[in-house]
Amino acid sequence: MKLLFTLSFAFLLSTSILSQTKISGKITDKTNQPLPGANIYLKDTYDGTSSEANGTFSFTSDEAGEFVLVVSFVGYQSHSENLTLDKKEKYLEIKLEEESTELGAVVISAGSFEASDENKAVILRPLDIVTTGSDADIYSALETLPGTQQIGETEGLFVRGGSASETKTIIDDMTVQNPFYSSVPDIPSRGRFSAFLFKGIVFSTGGYSAQYGQALSSVMVLKTQDLAPKTQTAINLMALGFGGMHTQRWENSSLSVEGGYYNLGPYFKIQKQRTEWDEAPESFEGSANFRYKTSETGLLKAFTSFSYGDLSLRFPNLDSLSQKDFFYQKSSNFFANTNYRDILWGDWTLFAGYSVGVDNEDDEINTNFANKDDVFHTGKFTVTKNLFSNSFVTFGGEIQNLDHSSSFNNLKGNFKETYLAGYAETDIFFTNDFAGRIGVRAENSKLINKTNLAPRLSFAYRLGTYDQLNFAYGKFYQTPDPDFLLYSKNFDFENADHYILNYQYIGTDRTFRIEVYYKNYNSLTKGTIQSYPFYNVPIVPFSNDGKGYAKGIDVFWRDRETFDYTDYWISYSYLDTKREYRSYPSLASPTFSTPHTFSVVAKRWIPEIATQVGLTYTFATGRPYYNPNNPEFLGDRGKNFQNLSLNASILTNLFNSFTIIFASVDNLLGYENIYGYNYSTDGARSAPIIPPTLRSVFIGMFISLGETNPY
Amino acid sequence: MRRSLSAILSLLFLTVAIADDRYEKEIKKNLEKIDECKTPNDFIKLANNFERIAVAEKDKWLPYYYSAFVYVLASYSDSSNSRKDIYLDKSDNFNNIADSLQPNNSEIYTLKGMISQARMQVDPMNRWQKYGAEATNNFTKAMQIDTLNPRPEYLIGVGIFFTPKQFGGGSTAAKPILEKSLAKFEKFVPENEIMPKWGKEQVVDYLKQINEAK
Repeated sequence: MKLLFTLSFAFLLSTSILSQTKISGKITDKTNQPLPGANIYLKDTYDGTSSEANGTFSFTSDEAGEFVLVVSFVGYQSHSENLTLDKKEKYLEIKLEEESTELGAVVISAGSFEASDENKAVILRPLDIVTTGSDADIYSALETLPGTQQIGETEGLFVRGGSASETKTIIDDMTVQNPFYSSVPDIPSRGRFSAFLFKGIVFSTGGYSAQYGQALSSVMVLKTQDLAPKTQTAINLMALGFGGMHTQRWENSSLSVEGGYYNLGPYFKIQKQRTEWDEAPESFEGSANFRYKTSETGLLKAFTSFSYGDLSLRFPNLDSLSQKDFFYQKSSNFFANTNYRDILWGDWTLFAGYSVGVDNEDDEINTNFANKDDVFHTGKFTVTKNLFSNSFVTFGGEIQNLDHSSSFNNLKGNFKETYLAGYAETDIFFTNDFAGRIGVRAENSKLINKTNLAPRLSFAYRLGTYDQLNFAYGKFYQTPDPDFLLYSKNFDFENADHYILNYQYIGTDRTFRIEVYYKNYNSLTKGTIQSYPFYNVPIVPFSNDGKGYAKGIDVFWRDRETFDYTDYWISYSYLDTKREYRSYPSLASPTFSTPHTFSVVAKRWIPEIATQVGLTYTFATGRPYYNPNNPEFLGDRGKNFQNLSLNASILTNLFNSFTIIFASVDNLLGYENIYGYNYSTDGARSAPIIPPTLRSVFIGMFISLGETNPY
Repeated sequence: MRRSLSAILSLLFLTVAIADDRYEKEIKKNLEKIDECKTPNDFIKLANNFERIAVAEKDKWLPYYYSAFVYVLASYSDSSNSRKDIYLDKSDNFNNIADSLQPNNSEIYTLKGMISQARMQVDPMNRWQKYGAEATNNFTKAMQIDTLNPRPEYLIGVGIFFTPKQFGGGSTAAKPILEKSLAKFEKFVPENEIMPKWGKEQVVDYLKQINEAK
């Protein structure tokens, strides 16, 4: 036994001295560039080293037998291989593959702009939304991106020749029926939802995923914030009213409650209005936002909001010089969105959500009464299964139920629509440089009793570290607008084909993007209905014979590098579009389109005074307007549009509380913009459609109570 | 037979003891290298050394913690924002492994806070809201777990030191917090030679800088 002991000891000794193996080699990437700093080691031992500046490495090991050699490096996939240590020198040349979850991988991005605070290359940050333009409205900020039109007289995003109803707002994967406050003729209303609710925005100007439907032109996909980071109380004071917010954070849940009262009366006394307000807009709003983290991976989100408001004003009546039209509006809205997302069994992501919107609007026009009620329910589920590297497959279903009623004096109309959709889509990374998204969506409308099948395709090919080519094709369907469905159910889906080709360069601080597109509209709804604006043209019977096209080029450039503390972006859109729909007697460029739109946004952070200053300049050529005296339908072109707005956000401390003071001036240079003209019934008189004020000034502040610094 | 068994057993203990001794030696040796690192590559090589120890040992939180710590230092040394984020992803990953091996540890929560701070510095304008709050939460937790740990206050103090005066930051606001940290450092005795003890010299430096500026 003693012998055995000695022997084994001797054996131990011998292994450590006699059997050293030298392992050396070189680590490179796919293009043979050396990778310095890669970690090379033998698994389960202390033996290993890092690669040098030229990618080479060398180390010795006292071990013998079968081992696993591992090479790991930040931003690259780990490499491992079996290695027999037998005293013979080993030389290894190892190529590492880039990790596709990192910045290096190709991104499927034809048609879309993304704003996100996740740690990846995106075109915008959520904060950009709040600090662009003059009114901190999500939609106004998106109007500085190419593909959108500058439409000052009405709310909504008009994308690539599409009308506002062709753009859908989607919150946490569910469509919102009424994302804007009730509209007033010739005065645009704001979006209902504050930019601060969202952690990410994807604005797609075409060719989007099969997950979304019922939008012929565009979708704006908003992702709400997760758990609130901390307990906080804040108040905001504005020239338009005031509000308060409290957030309570617990270990695994958070609740925010917000309320506000807005009255534009005092503001209108100081800010001269050209519109003749009888009773300035007044509103009450409240919202609650709850988050509950059910596990490491599960998150329950519940959001609800409520608003009530009224206003009245007088319009000049072009048919009678002595008379003015009186308009009164009272509106209320309730919205709730609840959803749950979790990751199960490692690679399955489940999402289920339910959303409801109740919108009510009562209008009084002289002695007439109009009313509109919408009750909109949506349910959606999505299942995503990870396949390999970044590839995954998604499928899901959606149900929407809309109960729409409308009345004008004693005339009442109502319809109930049930819409069902199912989709399947896969994102495949053929290589790190070439990826595709292939999907299909099937939809059924109970009301018009029609079914459709919409294929969607998108490919991305990476040319270099920072640039890539994208291509997308898709077919998009939309049920005719509610206005039409009140009169007839004998319609088919409207549809559009999108073809998009895009080149983009996204560096750390510079972005360039150019996109060419062609869009083909079919089966657009035709027919004459009593709605504003009304064209005095021959009555068109209801049909799906409408058609149209849109083609153009969108260019975007953003640069945060050239000038210190300065960030600017430039957008240019060229659009050529014509359509024949609604009561159009012939193919014409619609009132919401113009060939050239150009905008520049510049922001500068001035550290000395902790202030960010932003300038937004927009130019757009004149848009078509309806002139009953011109035999050519929509043959007249309006005046070019120009606007320069200035905003400043000052970060400071007031009453020992962290405070942001926000001030802005819209149309700083006082350029007289005319959006179009309204005509008297006989066409003899006309009046320009102009904004309610020439210039508008806004000031407000946001105070985080009891916090001296943003930490 | 009995004797041989005990002999083999003692040999076994001996090898375990040797291994443990080696573990501590390796950690110590690499800790001494931190101050020599200058370039991002120096830091990555050092983080690699800790990673190798971590992977070989498997169940010890300290080498994962140190690798994560050195990756934060690497992020400070690099000028590219995208690389900073890649280092911090790796750091986060290793610190989370440390957290799973040693739950409720004040040093690990301190490092979590430090990672959030570093994330914020990559793009302060856009990130302060999210990562500022995250850092505060982690430091608070670290102080709750161990009220004697001087490091959370050191990092909070430095954060405030570099925050512009308009936001309630600056040297005057940072001073009392750094002083509190220093008082804790004076009394702080690490459990053993390889446990975290970094930060004291830096606190002294900052306080010196603040006092000289006056």
